[in-house]
Amino acid sequence: MPPLGSPHQAVAPPEDPTDAAGPSGLERRDFLIKAAAMLAAGVAFPWGGLDVAVLPAQTSSAGATDPAVPAFAISPQADEDVLIRMQRDLARALRKPIEQRRWGMVIDTRKCVACMSCTVACVMENKLPPGVVYRPVIDTEIGTYPNVTRQFLPRPCMQCDNPPCVSVCPVNATWKRPDGIIEIDYDVCIGCRYCITACPYQARTFDFGENWTNNAATGAPAALALAGAAQYENEPNFEYSERWNRANGPIPTSPVGNARKCHFCAHRLVDGLLPMCVTTCLGRATIFGDLNDPEALVTELAASSNAIRLKEDLGTEPKVFYLL
Amino acid sequence: MTLHGSAPKLSRRQLLKAGALTAGGALLGDLGYLLANGAAPHEVAAGEPYPLNLPENLLYTTCLQCNTQCTLKTKIQDGVLVKIDGNPYSPMNLLPSLDYATNPTQVAPVDGSICSKGQSGVQTLYDPYRLRKVLKRAGPRGSGKWQTISFDQAVREIADGGKLFTHIGEDRVVPGFKDVFVLRDPALAKQMSDDVKALRAGQLSVADFKTKYADHLDVLIDPDHPDLGPKNNQFVLLGGRIAPDREKITQRFTYGALGSVNWYGHTTICEQAHHVAFQYATAQWSAQGGWQVGTNHMKPDYPNAEFVIFWGTGFAEANFGPPPLSTRVSKAIVDGRLKVAVVDPRLSKSAGKGWWIPVRSGGDLALAMGMIRWIIDNGRYDAAFLRNANKAAATNGAESSWTNATWLVNPASGKFVRASDVGLGDNAHFVALVNGQPTAFDPYDPVIPVVGDLDVDTTIAGIAVKSGFRMLKESAGQNSLQFYAQESGVDLGTVVALATEFTAHGKRAGIDFYRGPIKLTYGYYAAQALIALNYLIGNVDHVGGFTPGGGSWDFMGAKPGQPFPLDQLHPGALTKFGIKLTRESSGPYETSTLFHGYPARRPWFPFTFDVYQEVIPAAYAGYPYPIKILWLHYGTPALAAPAGYLQIAMLRDTDRIPLFIATDVTVGESSMYADYVFPDLSYLERWSNGIGTSPVVLTKNTKFRQPAAAPITEIVTVDGEPMPLSTDTLVIALAKRLQASGFGRDALGPGMNLNRTEDYHLKMVANVAWGDKAGDTVPDASDNEVALFRKARRHLPSAVFDEAKWRAAVGPHWRRVVTVLNRGGRFESSAKAYKGDFVAHAWGKLLDLYVEPVASGTNAMTGTRFSGVPVYETLRAANGSPVTFAADYDLDLFTYKEIWGGQSRTVGNYAAQMALVPENFVYLNSVDARRLGLREGNVVRLESPGFPGTFEILPGQTQAVAGRVKIMEGIRPGSVAVSWHYGHWAYGARDLQIDGERIEGEPARGKGLVPNPAMSVDPYLKDVALTDPIAGDSAFNGTRVKLVKVGEGNTQDMPSSGSYNRESTLGVSVPFSSGDTAWMREQSLKAARGELDPATLVAEIERRLGPPPLPAGKTRT
Repeated sequence: MPPLGSPHQAVAPPEDPTDAAGPSGLERRDFLIKAAAMLAAGVAFPWGGLDVAVLPAQTSSAGATDPAVPAFAISPQADEDVLIRMQRDLARALRKPIEQRRWGMVIDTRKCVACMSCTVACVMENKLPPGVVYRPVIDTEIGTYPNVTRQFLPRPCMQCDNPPCVSVCPVNATWKRPDGIIEIDYDVCIGCRYCITACPYQARTFDFGENWTNNAATGAPAALALAGAAQYENEPNFEYSERWNRANGPIPTSPVGNARKCHFCAHRLVDGLLPMCVTTCLGRATIFGDLNDPEALVTELAASSNAIRLKEDLGTEPKVFYLL
Repeated sequence: MTLHGSAPKLSRRQLLKAGALTAGGALLGDLGYLLANGAAPHEVAAGEPYPLNLPENLLYTTCLQCNTQCTLKTKIQDGVLVKIDGNPYSPMNLLPSLDYATNPTQVAPVDGSICSKGQSGVQTLYDPYRLRKVLKRAGPRGSGKWQTISFDQAVREIADGGKLFTHIGEDRVVPGFKDVFVLRDPALAKQMSDDVKALRAGQLSVADFKTKYADHLDVLIDPDHPDLGPKNNQFVLLGGRIAPDREKITQRFTYGALGSVNWYGHTTICEQAHHVAFQYATAQWSAQGGWQVGTNHMKPDYPNAEFVIFWGTGFAEANFGPPPLSTRVSKAIVDGRLKVAVVDPRLSKSAGKGWWIPVRSGGDLALAMGMIRWIIDNGRYDAAFLRNANKAAATNGAESSWTNATWLVNPASGKFVRASDVGLGDNAHFVALVNGQPTAFDPYDPVIPVVGDLDVDTTIAGIAVKSGFRMLKESAGQNSLQFYAQESGVDLGTVVALATEFTAHGKRAGIDFYRGPIKLTYGYYAAQALIALNYLIGNVDHVGGFTPGGGSWDFMGAKPGQPFPLDQLHPGALTKFGIKLTRESSGPYETSTLFHGYPARRPWFPFTFDVYQEVIPAAYAGYPYPIKILWLHYGTPALAAPAGYLQIAMLRDTDRIPLFIATDVTVGESSMYADYVFPDLSYLERWSNGIGTSPVVLTKNTKFRQPAAAPITEIVTVDGEPMPLSTDTLVIALAKRLQASGFGRDALGPGMNLNRTEDYHLKMVANVAWGDKAGDTVPDASDNEVALFRKARRHLPSAVFDEAKWRAAVGPHWRRVVTVLNRGGRFESSAKAYKGDFVAHAWGKLLDLYVEPVASGTNAMTGTRFSGVPVYETLRAANGSPVTFAADYDLDLFTYKEIWGGQSRTVGNYAAQMALVPENFVYLNSVDARRLGLREGNVVRLESPGFPGTFEILPGQTQAVAGRVKIMEGIRPGSVAVSWHYGHWAYGARDLQIDGERIEGEPARGKGLVPNPAMSVDPYLKDVALTDPIAGDSAFNGTRVKLVKVGEGNTQDMPSSGSYNRESTLGVSVPFSSGDTAWMREQSLKAARGELDPATLVAEIERRLGPPPLPAGKTRT
């Protein structure tokens, strides 16, 4: 074996460099710049404009050589973990313009073991405070002894194509992105909680500004680490590719006082990383990817004969599918 | 400003700030704020990318939220360890794992999976109640009053002893380590040890011993009982979660440096009968060494099995453990290859995925014996496999391992017939019948196959003999199938169906078990029966069968050529000798000088080790000798042992436990009674020795803990070396002060110091990096990898990471050590799991269906012999008398673990245990609830014979074992289940007073109940839990309790369905009436579907409800 990490093991280029459309981290930024420009020009936003705005195709000349392009350099191997397959699917999707992607999720309830790892991983990743839960797992007992079983249902945001939460927002603080993710702008959200009410999946919760250690002792006795606890709680999270400090943001409290919800870890997607609930799923029950990509695992599984969506009759068109 | 291309990445917020200057509008809150505050464009700075996928922010280490000890990838942000995921180099977190050769930079974007308690480990690390400084008791034991003292003072005091507590009115002289570190001469220790062996063997009398050592009798605990060993044994180190983790450095201290035999792990409150039964069921024989125990664990090859019975365990909670198990088992089930059955009185998460068999708690042995009987009666066993009596026969029969099923046993002695017994050869050969002819053989003969007769009951050379198989058959035949079914609580049809299914898949079936079926006084036999069932179908080593797992590299360097043979690198080590405090692994009672007929004063445990629940009661009883110093490390027997509350009064007794020190991360339920508490590092800040992995992983792997987070504890100086307070630091400082061997200058040999923890632990990494044989060495890290290694540790203080010191510890091995640490351990390629029809790391040796060494042992309390095959038993006290319960104790109590919890150290995990289920409940079937007139939410107290439902923490302070009733269907009627993890009275739940300042506890940590105090006390010994006489395991099961309603309670925050339902506790709180909520939801759905104009909707909402009530700080502009 050669020395590990020697130069010849450098990052492999994307499969087709000419197809690389550019750093996907820019899409929302492009959009917002456009929005800001429209504001400056006095252009009125039509209602709903935010969620249907068509962005220009990304014109970056950057590609394979751009360090911002998430590279995925793990070579394929036989029977590889679906996490690796999905991450490769994700890298492929990121080489397309944002409006050609359609992020979706398939949750195989047969593989879900209610380990709650997704729930907690999401809390840790997004530094969610008490009461804010993006992805609970609902554990239900069915039947009467001895004919009884348990059913486990992870419940992220459904990222509906027809999102009731968007239509009810009075300040346009939430919208559907071109890739289908329903985003919340914490700077715009006024905390009215209409969206929380409107969501038929209870996918949104409210940030009341609590912290985990609020009820622990305070003070600075040298013998205990009371002060050390706040250290990680005060670290910013990176939702929507920004740094959000609960204590010290330009608006001091955001995202405190906001509605909050799952965003498929959009801040990870731009770097070619899968959502946290996906990577930490012990049963590999959560499959994620671009539903527009016929080669993607998620697309294949979403078309399974045992696939359903929750509350299909409401017409919300969720992009989260369940395999029963 | 560049918007496209490879310009520095700007965050949206920063761009908004820039855009705001031209926008002139205030629709967006951020813009409005910035304009109002006159934000200037210079605030736009370079972007702040997501930092948690950058290789320099990642460190790979190993979890310790439970004993699965999964491999971790930790993520550092601004010097803070903020996130934990699975290590993709490791098959515990990714399957197949990534190629070990892959550069860490390329691996950085890949996250492996880890469970919820692993995820919340950040909160174990940054627990506000973590200790930073040494605490010395400033009031009576347990008073909660402490003073901080310097580490130097603390070490001086515990080393030297003296009147340490006169300032709080205690005039006694406290013994120090110098008072137990009495025998210091290694040559004398070795000589005495040899002579004590001779004494035990009957070759030397006590009188002769005393004459020989007349000048040295003062080093002995009792010169009339030299076999008790030296006074050094009066130091006892009792470890909770200590192995596999830090057993090597603490044993180096206890055994070699201080010469005490009394080092203990906690295994008998975990799963010891499982381990002991496996060790004897895989014991190997040699003419020179007799029987040597084998492996302590085998598991089914889940990905390739067709049928697996999870017996009192599962793949989604506890066990070994959910991260590697769930990935494999879920896939196998859904792919249609695997069917699972779950034997458990509770509908566990695993049981929800398969065939639930709600056995009666404690009925597992009956069920297993019933299955054995049915399988033998119906000829459903693998006779061809079982008939192979030796290696050659196994090889001929396309098998890898073989059993002793055909070997002839003399039932009168319990021993195997040797060839010499029947005139067929020497005593190194065993005997089987081959077509009726007695045939002598060597079990390991690779050339001459012996295929024996299986079912033998005959007389040879005047000796009545039976085959091992026959012994099992007769034992199972002691009772009818109907009897076994009735005792197990499983109907006969199901017993037969389970046995039928188990034997319908050839070798592609297996039984996995761990703790559930064996926490009983007959736990060893239950474990042995379950192992026997596996052997009966001949599944060992086969693909889809039963496997010992991939094993580990030898991190202690005992393999030829390895750079640091650490067990030998201890010049001046003392030879420890003497009977252990628990009489475990100390030979038979009968050969000791304490023998005075039956019963012994307390049980002896020649076949086991780590008899955790017995340590403190034995010290208190002074049998076999009194102790002087108890060091409790990261353990809490008062909380975690069954009936452990009885140990509180013992721990508070300063006469019988004169010096009590603890190393702990917080002040816990047992360390709260200590004289001194030394802060320890959490698992995320420190080293461990090498750690293997359970047989869930079929490939070889060795993992390490290494400092990932900067230390929370105070940094002190030992002999000029700065280091954070920790157990390792205490061991080094104490050994140096006592001038004990094994630590300090040249402690590992000339030129090899042990002044810092990494001087020891990095050598283990070097051994693993070098490999088990020449050519097995990992490549040197490249310059880039070394640079990454350095950069990734930039947040660690030099007291922890000093590259020059680390390099010096391993010298020329440095670069390959970097290779291993950059990956968190060493992991064989997942592709090497199988070789043809067998697992690649096969057992390939003898399997003991009949266990001779146990069969030839005697119960020190009853004088009766143990059995070589499993026998059906019921609950028994130490003196052998049956334990029964009055009729009003009408519910079988059992416990279980939720995946988010460990036994005693996850209550500070705010985002997992505390958030997911803040409180545990008393789970009851609706049938029992109706019968007892209990409603959901009622508060009930658990009472058992002799236990009134409360216990004393301190004089006048009691704690109730009481909780709210939760009614469910997924539990066997007649049972009551209480989970682990709750009912804390310390670990942050209790107020402390330190240096006169009161520090409030957090009430949420005290919620729920711990069921252990209600578990049966041995009615004969009266001071310890019921205990398995063979494995020393404590009986968590078997107790029958009654529930006494003490309050109406309520159902607030209780799960709405089943055992757990997150939806009900979600903070979905809206300030609207239910009618308005329903209307708003309906209207917004219409708008979402395009049936209603959203602007109209919003206007309509405000017309109907008025302007929305906004939280503080939010305004609508």
